[in-house]
Amino acid sequence: MRFQLEGLTVYFPYQFIYPEQYQYMLELKHALDAKGHCLLEMPTGTGKTITLLSLITSYQLAHPETGKLIYCTRTVPEMEKVLAELKELMEYRQRYFQDTAGGAPKILALGLSSRKNLCIHPMVSEEGTRESVDARCMKLTAPWVRERAGKEPDHDIETCALYEGLEGAGPEGRLDAGVYTLHDLRVWGRKHQWCPYFLARRMIAYANVVVYNYQYMLDPKVSQMVSREFERECVVVFDEAHNIDNVCIEALSVNIRSQTLDAATRNIGSLKREIERVKRTDEGRLRQEYQRLVQGLQAQGVLQEDARGGGDGDAQQWLANPALPEDIVREAVPGNIRRAEHFVAFLQRFVAYLRTRLAVDQVVSDTPTSFLASLQQAVAIEGKTLRFCYDRLASLMKTLEITASDDFHGVHLVADFATLVGTYSRGFAIITEPYDDRLPSVPDPIIQLSCLDASLAVRPVFAKYQTVVITSGTLSPIDLYPRILNFSPVCIASLNMTLTRDCLCPVVLTRGGDQLPVSTKFDMRSDPQVIRNYGRMLVDLAATVPDGVVAFFVSYSYMDQIVSRWNDMGILQELMAHKLVFIETQDVVETTLALDNFRRACDCGRGAVFFSVARGKVAEGIDFDRHYGRCVVMFGVPYQYTLSRILRARLEYLRETFQIKENDYLAFDAVRQAAQCVGRVIRSKADYGLMVLADKRYQRHDKRDKLPAWITQHLKDSHLNLSTDMLLCIARDFMRSMAQPYDRAAVGRSLLSEAAVNALDTAAPSAEAVGLADMQTDG
Amino acid sequence: MAGRAATLAEGRGMDLDEEDEELRADEEARGQTAFEREYEDDHSWEELEEDEFGNLRAPDQAEEQRARRRRLMSAAASARIRRGMVRYVEVVLDLSRAAALADMRPLRAAVMSGVLQQFVRTFFDENPLSQLGLVILRNGVAERLTELSSSPEAHIAKLRQNLDTGGDASLQNALDLCVDALKSIPPYGHREVLIMLAALSTCDPGDINASIKAAKRQRVRVSVVGLAAEVYVCRRMTEQTGGTYTVATGEGHLQELMLSHAVPPPAAPGTSSVSLVRMGFPCKNPEAPGAAAFCGEACLLRPGGYTCPKCKARVAELPSLCHVCGLSLVASPHLARSYHHLFPVPAFAEVPAAELLGVTGCGGNQPDFAPAFVTGRTYCYGCYTPLGQQAGGAGRSRGAASLAAAGIVSRCPDCRHLYCFECDSYIHEHLHTCPGCECLPPHLATATAAAAAAAAAAAPAVG
Ligand code: SF4
Ligand SMILES: [Zn+2]
Ligand SMILES: [Zn+2]
Ligand SMILES: [Zn+2]
Repeated sequence: MRFQLEGLTVYFPYQFIYPEQYQYMLELKHALDAKGHCLLEMPTGTGKTITLLSLITSYQLAHPETGKLIYCTRTVPEMEKVLAELKELMEYRQRYFQDTAGGAPKILALGLSSRKNLCIHPMVSEEGTRESVDARCMKLTAPWVRERAGKEPDHDIETCALYEGLEGAGPEGRLDAGVYTLHDLRVWGRKHQWCPYFLARRMIAYANVVVYNYQYMLDPKVSQMVSREFERECVVVFDEAHNIDNVCIEALSVNIRSQTLDAATRNIGSLKREIERVKRTDEGRLRQEYQRLVQGLQAQGVLQEDARGGGDGDAQQWLANPALPEDIVREAVPGNIRRAEHFVAFLQRFVAYLRTRLAVDQVVSDTPTSFLASLQQAVAIEGKTLRFCYDRLASLMKTLEITASDDFHGVHLVADFATLVGTYSRGFAIITEPYDDRLPSVPDPIIQLSCLDASLAVRPVFAKYQTVVITSGTLSPIDLYPRILNFSPVCIASLNMTLTRDCLCPVVLTRGGDQLPVSTKFDMRSDPQVIRNYGRMLVDLAATVPDGVVAFFVSYSYMDQIVSRWNDMGILQELMAHKLVFIETQDVVETTLALDNFRRACDCGRGAVFFSVARGKVAEGIDFDRHYGRCVVMFGVPYQYTLSRILRARLEYLRETFQIKENDYLAFDAVRQAAQCVGRVIRSKADYGLMVLADKRYQRHDKRDKLPAWITQHLKDSHLNLSTDMLLCIARDFMRSMAQPYDRAAVGRSLLSEAAVNALDTAAPSAEAVGLADMQTDG
Repeated sequence: MAGRAATLAEGRGMDLDEEDEELRADEEARGQTAFEREYEDDHSWEELEEDEFGNLRAPDQAEEQRARRRRLMSAAASARIRRGMVRYVEVVLDLSRAAALADMRPLRAAVMSGVLQQFVRTFFDENPLSQLGLVILRNGVAERLTELSSSPEAHIAKLRQNLDTGGDASLQNALDLCVDALKSIPPYGHREVLIMLAALSTCDPGDINASIKAAKRQRVRVSVVGLAAEVYVCRRMTEQTGGTYTVATGEGHLQELMLSHAVPPPAAPGTSSVSLVRMGFPCKNPEAPGAAAFCGEACLLRPGGYTCPKCKARVAELPSLCHVCGLSLVASPHLARSYHHLFPVPAFAEVPAAELLGVTGCGGNQPDFAPAFVTGRTYCYGCYTPLGQQAGGAGRSRGAASLAAAGIVSRCPDCRHLYCFECDSYIHEHLHTCPGCECLPPHLATATAAAAAAAAAAAPAVG
């Protein structure tokens, strides 16, 4: 349908629109109008993606000055889904332009992913990992390889025909307007014999919609290369962004173990040998590099060439310093590492120093400043020099014409580490632990350079782009996100789901069958009575709920413990009489297999229980929709491992910098994980699921209030503070009532038709304006 | 209840940590204990109303009645659909572990068996030409309880003896067994499997999808009535074979759902070709009705018995198959009883309350023998219950509204008589003929309809 939204013509590819989608569009439009950022929560299953796409593309159409839509997703399947929906939308939009002269406005939309997903070279694409594909591709496409292949045609130097095809096509090598999923890109590439990866990289500059992974925007190394040339007017969307702070932090954290240092030492050795070799054969090259470095990095041209021809392999990446990028570009590389031999010697010294740091027998924690001070004292290395490590290494690798970048992982990590430490004096902690606290007998020393401030990695994004949209199904409590990400949105909204039947049934279980409280609190978690009560509840639920049941535990170790105790108590055997049991492990392949079998058991009517861990892969990315998840149980409150030193450091930092209380943050983080877990079972409005929050602590207001509104809305008073027997009563009734045929016409009644939407728009412009004003004051 | 409340309080007394303090404060603030809360939403007694005669009745049953009507009408609406009159139904009763649960009193198994017995009787009432067999699911296997036959008593007797429960249920085994039995029935017969499922999972020896495909190939229609919740594999099985899947919310609902399967289902396109079926109408021992004779396969000495017109063998009861020549033996009333499925009473149209305001009488042509107490009122043609709101009846405190019978009013589209809900459902469920239409003098049968329509159109203008 096509309707007017405060003067904007919106094309929406369905005949009806949910009220919450309409509301979502309004909020989004206000943010776009105000050229500000916004934070929107809307539950999964309400068509969030299509709403976003529909509004923003309509907005682009009406306001051509708006830049690209950059849509960031977490996984490749999500990316494909977004593009598929966009394709549908565009096909739909055509029909409104059939009789316009010149036809429908054309847009170019494409997904960008790593070479691993796009390469169509018959050999290279067979490589197993992302790194090895990158490395093999680079061996074929590095400028010097191609140059040599051009110069010495009889030497049989291998290049990639597809890359050459694209280069040879020159400006002709492009995509027609349209929407391209990764698959479409590969098809296009095969048809024209062009490399899809480099074609996509080239085309994103011209695209109206780009869909790619978070990292391409947040990880400074990658974003500098891929996203640097995007214009300021772009609209950036982070979908499923409830964990965005963790992604930001991970992008700026480095861990170094003794294995890393060993590898780095080996790498330095081979760098040395290379330098010797080049010195003998082609001194000029090294001298040229030296000259370039004297003039500074800007003249060196590392950046420009990378963006065009290089790749996102580590070797040719430039670690953008999101806080002070210009500084580093303007300054010349310090004299003491300009010469290749000097730089290698410098690295050697640094690695040796790190080795001494690693040989501790107790935990040491430092700030970057104190680390630098002791570094200065011990080996006389300056922070300023460290800051250039990354670029200097990249330049050296280029000069030496080394393409096997995946072999040089160790030295790269060290360089990353050095650059980060040299750059940031705040917001980081360096924690050295001689062993893992949970396994004190196994020596496993590690230096963790941990970013404490999520806002560091997103700050450039907020600063650069006009509108950044952060959205997810669970962003509650929504006012905490602006604080930890340190930005001020113009719109904050949490939208509900309109349902025609009560297909969500959240309940809080506080007591077992014997009326004793249950909890995973530290002092209670190994109490046999609690374990037994949890087990009995699961067995009874398995007998009451059909098909799939998902159980989430607070951690792997807790899951291991409770499962083995259940086994001793005979509870597991009872459970298996009702349903098969599958367990998530840390091994991805094993877990995938378990999931497969779990689904099969649900399909064939045997029924199954999946044991999983909050914050695990399954909790984050796997949907248990329809019969795969009729019930989800969250055993306990999934707090982070609070004894972790990194977490402690982060909490302290949050308290000092953003005035967020430790307990508030911990509770927020735990409840958002729990909400994520239980939300796994509802993926559309036709779905239904029972959500059991099994811990007495969920009864407390400070926990319950942090759940998203679309859950609390269904949390009836009579479903709080339950014991197992009451839970079973509710479960039985719920399952029966959900099995009744439901009136599909009633779904229609909660929808708005084109006429209704247009009426709404003319009726209430003033009320909306007031709503926006309110929003701005509390944002 | 009191006992449980006490243990509850004790349980709470034991932990004194601050969170529980808070919980308790929470609870006390709301002034109720946990067991009270279960009934919190359920103040059904407050909804009861008293009418002018002191009878209790629930306030508005209209919605509920409408739903029930819709179900009835859907049968009537599909009047001209070809139906499978000769059905061969395998009924599977799940007596696995799950049937031993007590969420239906006294036990699920007992309730299921009771409902099933009722179903068997109704089934043969509605489908005298059909046959039924029983299969039990227990301990992971499917046991054949009775072969396909048309004797309700034999099925019920067997059913009564078999109520032990235990083990897993296996849908695949049941399906294989039933499909195997139904494979060989004649092509005009409708092949159906009806499963009464208590379990929520099935433990199968192989791939159930293969069995579902086999059932589909053999054109067996599989329907499931569940007791507890929706199981995905049942949904798929019924969808693929063209059956229905329903889940009961309680005993009453279970009975309703099972009995709905007694009505012959519409013939799926292409399931069986139209063909003439050879049948015999035996007489009751023509020489000496009532004299003892050896009847049937088992050669039991019985009073009476019927003689097959083809081979002169004696059979004990009708309808059945002749055990000698295999002819279907029926009595003419059986055929007649199956008839109403083909020519159902037309769906009555609901009359809005507003339209009733100006009308007196029972619609249609007023019979002059109507009793005195209804004169000047609107009443049901079937039972003389007053209908709708009465203009001048506001004598009592409760006012006019309570005079009317609860529920909705409907009108026969042919004879234009008004009926109350009770009569409406009685006519459609049991009588299968409209008394108003039957009483119409032949010359009026068509003319009245038009005249009444005109009158009805004029009525609102008058009132
Ligand atoms: S240039 Fe493209 S096609 Fe060739 S190896 Fe690299 S990624 Fe693969
Ligand atoms: Zn015979
Ligand atoms: Zn009546
Ligand atoms: Zn009639």
